[in-house]
Amino acid sequence: MVYKYLTNDIIKKIKECRKRFPLKEQCIIPTLHQILEKYRDIPFQALEELAHYLDVPLSDIEGIVSFYDMFRYPKKGAKNHIRICRNLPCHLANYQRILEDIKEITGADIGKPNKMWYIELVECIGSCGIAPAFLINNDLYDGSKIKSKEQLEEILKSYITEEADEHQRQDTKAT
Amino acid sequence: MNIRDRIPRLPEIYADSNLNLLLRRAKENRTVDIEEYETTGGYSALKKALNRFRPEDIVALVEESTLRGRGGAGFPTGRKWRFALMNPQPRYLVCNADESEPGTFKDRIIIERDPHLLLEGMIISGYALQAKEGYIYIRGEYPAGYMILENAIQEAKERGYLGKNILGSGFSFDIKVYRGAGAYICGEETALLESLEGKRGHPRLRPPYPAQVGLYGRPTVVNNVETLSNIPIIVTYEAYFMNIGPAGFYGPKLFPISGKVNRPGVYEATMDITLQELIDMAGGMKDNKDVKAVFAGALGIYRKDELDTPMDYSPKGFGGTGTTIVLDEDDCIIDALTVITNFFHHESCGKCTPCRVGTYEQDVILKKLKEGKATEKDVEYLKHLSKNIPANSICGLGYSAPNAVADALEKFPEEFEAHLNKTCKRCFG
Ligand SMILES: Cc1cc2nc3c(=O)[nH]c(=O)nc-3n(C[C@H](O)[C@H](O)[C@H](O)COP(=O)(O)O)c2cc1C
Ligand code: SF4
Ligand code: FES
Repeated sequence: MVYKYLTNDIIKKIKECRKRFPLKEQCIIPTLHQILEKYRDIPFQALEELAHYLDVPLSDIEGIVSFYDMFRYPKKGAKNHIRICRNLPCHLANYQRILEDIKEITGADIGKPNKMWYIELVECIGSCGIAPAFLINNDLYDGSKIKSKEQLEEILKSYITEEADEHQRQDTKAT
Repeated sequence: MNIRDRIPRLPEIYADSNLNLLLRRAKENRTVDIEEYETTGGYSALKKALNRFRPEDIVALVEESTLRGRGGAGFPTGRKWRFALMNPQPRYLVCNADESEPGTFKDRIIIERDPHLLLEGMIISGYALQAKEGYIYIRGEYPAGYMILENAIQEAKERGYLGKNILGSGFSFDIKVYRGAGAYICGEETALLESLEGKRGHPRLRPPYPAQVGLYGRPTVVNNVETLSNIPIIVTYEAYFMNIGPAGFYGPKLFPISGKVNRPGVYEATMDITLQELIDMAGGMKDNKDVKAVFAGALGIYRKDELDTPMDYSPKGFGGTGTTIVLDEDDCIIDALTVITNFFHHESCGKCTPCRVGTYEQDVILKKLKEGKATEKDVEYLKHLSKNIPANSICGLGYSAPNAVADALEKFPEEFEAHLNKTCKRCFG
């Protein structure tokens, strides 16, 4: 099988993982993290490749993808993933304000991603001390410090960089 | 590139303490490296443990300390260890760093700012349990914490605190970090073990308990981050540990407090502190408003006239993880409950029908209440569910899913009234 998504660097990581943990199933979640990190998405073909490489049933991998919230696919390849917390402390801090502003600025919506943005409401992200909290990719933001829409616009703009374009080019190359 | 250079920036979460035990190095928002950890007394408890104590001496110390698990259930740690020690080697130690209960953000402070405290606690615990290996299961949404732990483990290995023949004692121990991927249920210890073995996080039927049949089918102790971080403190202070806090509930406790207080954050205190004193510690109420209610995470509700509740593990105490979410006079209990019921519906793993369907029905009724579409019959059914879901579920999520609703029914009947007849100002004003 020729792999399109399991690139050499990912396979190297799987090998390290296999050395580290006794069960091959223990490499599924870590590898899905790798795939998500690299492609900002979990394409179905990547699951097939992983099943083939680890020699585990595809249904085991599909079962994991559908169980864990961080892996729910498809994210439609959006470049940036925004996760806004909707649990009680963030609810009390009116996360809806942040959500509305983000929707306006990005033009995306929950369930309606575009090329650049995937927006999701999530449960508590353990940041209730800075509620309303949200994540852009791996960066955590304190919504209470964001006083204006302009400020939010600045932040979001910093994710639309040449690097992101470069990333996109590389991804298209890889696919 | 060095791991340290890739770590995402840490959130500016406020932390304060007048005890300086668990938060001794963690009040400022930066990661303490091994150098600083050692020069401020770090790893001296490990040296003491390996040089001066046999494993069973440490188990006895932990038993005497009255330390209880900080992950929610409050089970006596010494007793849990004793139980695991009755079962043959190889044994495993697993640190529960899944921290996903709404309003809980205390473990991350230790992980991100003082990771070696947790590692030292784990190594000593591993020695006490004569464990083969330790694992840290960290929630997927803490990428910085994951990298910080990986880096700290590397540092500890380089200095001989981890790996083969630790500090020449003959004891060997390794710690591996494993990332979750967004599922509250994986904090439940048996679901965690399933997840750690690379499966869907479905809780296991108990007995057997993890102390008997745990990771890879071997005896396993699962302890919370904060629980394990207490171990170096217990070894350092020995009998003096019993001077910290009230009888029976000795030791420092972390309290993550959020909602309508002036200074949300993580506060370290002894467990004789009351709910009111904790709110005061967090700078009091925002805009000088009155407290309406306090949510103990998603698991229970306290009324304004219960603010003298002690934050301990007594039957009348606050207990649990110490998670405190404060609502003010203008907040609506039903509105807050819809968030909680939605959460449980979303997080039920679906293995038991009463939990899967019951959490859904709870959520539907709460949404109806909020919209003014519910009837007396719905509220009656809600009462039925709050008995029925726990009675027919196999894990702690099902046992506790209706707690907040049941508390609200008992303590805030007027709020239900106000939604049946649509007089709630916030929802219908
Ligand atoms: C649904 C559910 C979620 C839980 N989440 C966590 C968690 O995130 N962290 C944790 O330490 N314990 C959690 N627990 C409690 C664990 O099952 C277990 O009691 C705990 O890790 C034991 O450690 P301790 O004795 O040190 O508290 C959870 C329990 C349930 C039922
Ligand atoms: S009680 Fe709920 S969460 Fe627990 S095993 Fe049953 S269905 Fe899953
Ligand atoms: S409720 Fe939003 S981070 Fe905890």
